[in-house]
Amino acid sequence: MDSSPDLRWFNLDRLNLLIGLFLFLSFLAINRVRARNLDSIYIRPLPGLKALDEAIGRATEMGRPILYVPGIGDMSEVGTLAAITISGPVARRTAELGCELRVPCYDPVVAALIDGVARQAYSEANRSDSYIAGSVYYVSATQFAYVASVTGTMLRDRPAANIYMGAFYAESLFLAETGNQTGAVQIAGCDQVTQLPFFVCSCDYTLLGEELYAASAYLGREPDQLATIAAQDWAKALAVVVVLLGILFALLGRPELGKWLQTS
Amino acid sequence: MRNGPLFVTFLTGATLIAIFFIPHHRAQETQSVILEWADVVYTFALILGSFSLWIANQTKVARRGEGWGYSLVTLVSLTLVTVLGVVQGVSAGTAVGWIYNAINAPLASTMFSLLAFFIASAAFRAFRARNVEASLLLVTAIVMMIGRVSIGEFLWEGFPPLTEWLLDVPNLAAKRAVAIGVGLGAISTALKIIVGIDRSYLGRS
Repeated sequence: MDSSPDLRWFNLDRLNLLIGLFLFLSFLAINRVRARNLDSIYIRPLPGLKALDEAIGRATEMGRPILYVPGIGDMSEVGTLAAITISGPVARRTAELGCELRVPCYDPVVAALIDGVARQAYSEANRSDSYIAGSVYYVSATQFAYVASVTGTMLRDRPAANIYMGAFYAESLFLAETGNQTGAVQIAGCDQVTQLPFFVCSCDYTLLGEELYAASAYLGREPDQLATIAAQDWAKALAVVVVLLGILFALLGRPELGKWLQTS
Repeated sequence: MRNGPLFVTFLTGATLIAIFFIPHHRAQETQSVILEWADVVYTFALILGSFSLWIANQTKVARRGEGWGYSLVTLVSLTLVTVLGVVQGVSAGTAVGWIYNAINAPLASTMFSLLAFFIASAAFRAFRARNVEASLLLVTAIVMMIGRVSIGEFLWEGFPPLTEWLLDVPNLAAKRAVAIGVGLGAISTALKIIVGIDRSYLGRS
């Protein structure tokens, strides 16, 4: 076995990914210019996000808290980053309506970040005094200990709305089914394909896959954020064309394009 | 210095992206160092999180809030496991190792075994034939359930191949469609943060 250190400055097997990255960055740059010149970029309405306001309003009327569950991913998971971003508008709305927000966290870094985001949201809503220290709290980095704590909170405190956003694994059905039994309005957003059916079964609204990432742009409505969604759509269209071309060439006995697209 | 955190994020993100394309051993060593820094940050955050957990449960016990007994168990467990771990270590044969194997693992298994009941209740709700889509789901689920048990093949030998087709063609196509969307969405989200379009993680709009 060769144990000599690798001295290459570029991995040619990843050239396809580098070209893809530059194409995506070009799409992003073009759409940022478009978003600033046009009034707005159209984004398909997401019923789950439209229901957020309704759910927070309902909780306020009932005098019950909102439970925001940011999943069990750490900071290396993009779903967790999306959950942190979405926690801002949710916290801001709860601050404006005077509703109690509770955020149990699986990861201590995520807890610290969401605490900062929520404090800022309360401050922007001129309700800093209403922010309850400890409403964003660390529970446990053990999957089922976390589940036990969150489901216990659901059964004891009966939140009026449960919002699940982020990366979820085997605990998804525990949380969603327990929440369903308490009669809470449930909105979920998850990027794990295997967990989506569970949320669809047990929640009132579910953001499927990439909709979780689009949520922050949808809620913020800032041109730069909207541009990233448009760039994503362009990239998706390009992916469809490339996949179709790959199939066509393979059928014609030229599988080189399909092989070149394989990642290493 | 307001843009200091944004600069650190950009520098770290751009460096890690660059390293992904550079197999040179020096670049890979740099990546290992950066990942070690992430572990160090996590350790400090864990201490912070433990304090947060302590304060939240201590307050509940002091006020005799609903379910304060559970908070007391949490406080005692947190103290006991921390002290034993610091004194004896956490490897097999120590008290913490025993607590993990004799208490934590069975509790986790018990919780996990409840999943079967939750699946049954969720399936019951999902499989009600309320509309065309739900009816289609119901029929597919019945075919899948029958086709995956031995009686299915006994009833009709076409059931097992049919379930394989359902899994390998329509199911896989849908999963891949979602996966492509998730992949592009993940790239978009990461770039948003690296180039500073999304600053919400800093507590800024």
